[in-house]
Amino acid sequence: MFELTWIRGLLAHRRVRLLAVAAGIAVTVALLASIGSFLSASTSQMTRRAIERVPLDWQVEAQPGSNPTAVLDTVKAFPGVTRALPVGFADSSGFQATTGGSTQTTGPGRVLGLPDGYRQAFPGELRTLVGSDSGVLVYQQTAANLHVSPGDTVTITRAGQSPSEVRVDGIVDLPAIDSLFQNVGAPAGAQPQAPPDNVILLPEARWQQLFGPLARARPELVHDQVHATLDHQLPASPAAAYVKVSGLARNLETQLVGAGLVGDNVGSALAAARSDAGYAQILFLFLGLPGAVLAGLLTGSIAAAGAGRRRHDQALLRARGAATGQLVRVALAETAVVAAAGVAVGLAAAVAIGAGSFGSVGFGAGPLSAALWGTGAALAGLLVAALVIALPAWRDARTLTVTGALRQVRRSPSPRWLRLGLDLILLAIGGTLFYLTGRNGYKLVLAVEGVPTVSVNYYALLGPLFTWLGAGLLIYRLAYLTLAHGRGLLTRLVRPIAGQLAGTVSATMSRQRRQLAWAVTLVGLTAMFAASTAIFNATYRQQAEVDAVLTNGAPVVVSESPGVSVGPSEADTIASIPGVRTVEPLQHRFAYVGADLQDLYGVRPDTIVAAGKLQNAYVRGGTVHDLYARLASQPDGVLVSDETVKDFQLTQGDRITLRLQDGRTGQYTNVPFTYIGITTEFPTAPSDSFLVANASYVAAQTGSDAVAHFLVDTAGNPAQVADRLRTALGASATVTDIASSRRIIGSSLTAVQLSGLTRVELGFALLLAAAATGLALAVGLAERRRGFAITHALGAKPRQLASFIWGEAGFMTIAGLLLGTAGAAAITTMLVKVLTGVFDPPPSQLAIPWAYLATTIAVALAAVALAATGAQRAARRPPLEILREL
Amino acid sequence: MSTSTATERAGPLACCLHVSHTYGHGSSATVAVTDTSCEIRPGELIALTGPSGSGKTTLLYLLAGLDRPTGGTVSWPALGGIEDLRPGPIAMVFQGPSLLPPLTVLENVALPLQLLGSPEPQALAAAAAALERLGIGELVAKLPEEISGGQAQRAAVARVLVSRPRLILADEPTGQLDHENGLLAVGVLIETARETGAALVVSTHDPEIAASLPEQWQMADGRLSVREEAACSS
Repeated sequence: MFELTWIRGLLAHRRVRLLAVAAGIAVTVALLASIGSFLSASTSQMTRRAIERVPLDWQVEAQPGSNPTAVLDTVKAFPGVTRALPVGFADSSGFQATTGGSTQTTGPGRVLGLPDGYRQAFPGELRTLVGSDSGVLVYQQTAANLHVSPGDTVTITRAGQSPSEVRVDGIVDLPAIDSLFQNVGAPAGAQPQAPPDNVILLPEARWQQLFGPLARARPELVHDQVHATLDHQLPASPAAAYVKVSGLARNLETQLVGAGLVGDNVGSALAAARSDAGYAQILFLFLGLPGAVLAGLLTGSIAAAGAGRRRHDQALLRARGAATGQLVRVALAETAVVAAAGVAVGLAAAVAIGAGSFGSVGFGAGPLSAALWGTGAALAGLLVAALVIALPAWRDARTLTVTGALRQVRRSPSPRWLRLGLDLILLAIGGTLFYLTGRNGYKLVLAVEGVPTVSVNYYALLGPLFTWLGAGLLIYRLAYLTLAHGRGLLTRLVRPIAGQLAGTVSATMSRQRRQLAWAVTLVGLTAMFAASTAIFNATYRQQAEVDAVLTNGAPVVVSESPGVSVGPSEADTIASIPGVRTVEPLQHRFAYVGADLQDLYGVRPDTIVAAGKLQNAYVRGGTVHDLYARLASQPDGVLVSDETVKDFQLTQGDRITLRLQDGRTGQYTNVPFTYIGITTEFPTAPSDSFLVANASYVAAQTGSDAVAHFLVDTAGNPAQVADRLRTALGASATVTDIASSRRIIGSSLTAVQLSGLTRVELGFALLLAAAATGLALAVGLAERRRGFAITHALGAKPRQLASFIWGEAGFMTIAGLLLGTAGAAAITTMLVKVLTGVFDPPPSQLAIPWAYLATTIAVALAAVALAATGAQRAARRPPLEILREL
Repeated sequence: MSTSTATERAGPLACCLHVSHTYGHGSSATVAVTDTSCEIRPGELIALTGPSGSGKTTLLYLLAGLDRPTGGTVSWPALGGIEDLRPGPIAMVFQGPSLLPPLTVLENVALPLQLLGSPEPQALAAAAAALERLGIGELVAKLPEEISGGQAQRAAVARVLVSRPRLILADEPTGQLDHENGLLAVGVLIETARETGAALVVSTHDPEIAASLPEQWQMADGRLSVREEAACSS
């Protein structure tokens, strides 16, 4: 069969060309399939971790008037529920205990009735701190308020009933107290309510004994819940898992016919994970696709370098009578061979990369996803092969004459897109779209609570996409115009290596400006890809470190235990510990802004900026020094969040009244403040709304100067200083250091997955840099062996031959790297802005990974040197088979 | 203008002594030239004839120093060592298209002079004169793709003439030319050789062209059938 004979011939005599194109396809396939591994590993981990973090999947609250037993039975029988237990909730007027000769009384509290086996069914809900795991358990803050420990007696007061005494068996922490005491059935987006300070947990029988009468007398003070665990065989994607779980919850509510409402904790966790999944998709599009497209372009470029030879082969076939159909079949056979080899190697590489970087050997979370990703990557490889081999061959077979096919250099006008200014148009569109999408902030992923669909703003991708395309074409334009109209400059530049041949070398380069400008473009695009990925990654890591400081607040933070009240003077004790450089007291209170409960931080404005390492990005409307100076000069001043300003339509200088707990009475009292500025971030503060005010003013107004945290800057290793502080302060305070925060942040989902993705990306960027420079140059030069052979036969010395090679290699590399670096600066700035949502907090400046960039340039230069040296060596030996064709 | 850089030496320009050349190894080996001895002296004008595959091209490559014999020796007593032969003392006209695609016809013709170190303006002026002489002066600014095969071959001849070599080797230089232009091209080669005292070896199938040269060498089955007695061992 003719095609097989032809392929055998190609394998024997055109091996380099086939291998190079197959390698390009392998890189494209491997990159796409690796990203498939990343996405599948990410999304399935997001789902798994979101579920793992939830100690209690569903809280089904029986509605007033319903039969709690019937609700329990319905929940138990509901498909997907693996375990369901009844829990009683009762309101108490307060608790009282007499210890050490004094009596402590708390405000209203909650008493829970837990059935046997509750701790085993929901181990994440309770953590024993002291004493027994069962019996009467007191929440640690309550225990601190009452000064009780195991063995002490607590009096529980009930509305309209006589007080009842219980003996404390253990002190417990309630790690998920917020969700445990959630307002089941609250509308989506409702403000979360503050958890109670006073909680006692009783065995079910005892609880029934105490609160059964109350339930009959005052049913509004007692309610029943069913706590349930679900079968965790859920779809891998957080969005799909969310849809399934929330659908089940609605279905259960329908079956309960109004008798119960579902508090869907697992659904809420999955809803939050949907945002991460959305960002994973965005990262794929931003960081992955350009690499795959670049690998495809590179493959095309390598194939195009052999196009002259292929045309020549075609011309010979045609001269010997081959019909167009036969030429096309030959090209298709070559396409099939190259694609098969490239796809096989690419998929194998992706499996290895997936296993090494993401711990995922498949390409998808499940068999279907794996099949789709594997097939998709393979099809992409086949498409690239078809585009770079079959399509040009088919076009040539249909349109070129035999003599036309033998031509290597044509005098042709500049490309039409260049004359039309397409690059400038694309850049203008990219810039405009970037501006338009940025006007409302770059909120790329919106996963609204209670709404099953996740909204990903793919429109925002168009700005960088158009800019990327425009920058690539602009690089081509600049290189092309330099080669076309800058002969004098080129001659001067190559004269040091070409001597008297400088004019001839520059003429050669100028006449091959299409190929050379394209090579410059590829190097430029690769530089843009490598630099933007690396800078993005470095900036992400930089912000993770900032996040660690923000989360922890300082290198070491001493947080007073609940119930322990210390004043700012405690700072002196802390400062006396060896290794402590400075100590900054920080008040933490809760304040009502209207109906919203927000965190309020009382600070010393003169010292907090330095002690808290506050940055300009943490405030709006001035520098951080400006705003905190304003706070210092206005004792009743308060910095509020952007959201609060919008919600309450505040303008600077407005008086606002906050309700703060009075330290003397324990009651909330009105305290007037003046709104003076906006704060967006603050050490230890939550990511949503919070307030910052003068500590002295808060202390004066509330009658308490109690400090919640001491921010400690250290002279030595923070971990060692933290250890010393733990020893010195004992159980009265919790000491955390930045290393532990770093560990927590560094092991968070986005960080882990992004580091895997960027490791793969940076590896591919290095590979592409080597390929764009070295391989493309080597293949291009190999295809011009005939020209070098002629020049050699005419008597060119090795140095003279080298001047042709190094002239082209130098122009391609230097112009490509310079233009690519300029493009990378623009693209990266845009990328970091558009992907603001991935960063926490948003960066105020880019981090430049100089070492990686230097490595990339070194790899590119080494690849060029290798290719040029190889070509130079080959050119010294005139290949006789070429000369015999002359 | 003398452009040869080799020191003028006495003796034959090229000398083959029991030269043979075999392509490949073992069963696939092809003997192209076998036990061939010959010498070329300044001013000799030689037609090398013989059927296709008789070894003419291989012998020319060996004489040009582009290939090395697998047996016997090739030397250039009057020209120096193999490194001194090109560009300058020896120039070759190839059978097929041999102009460099990215250079204009003028730049192609000027290239050997530039390889010899001539400044660009002088090289281009000499190249323009050589093209005029071959009647294709109007092609200076054309790229090889823009001219016919015959014009390209005449430009290749001009490229040989421009460096005024002492030994011109032409491998079927008329293969792509019509008879009239073939005669013109060979005529220019002969005229130039006579003017400069260079020796000329032209391989050809055309009896009329062969007849235009005073001396004929015949090749058959890799053997040169004349002048063997003139071996330069003495």
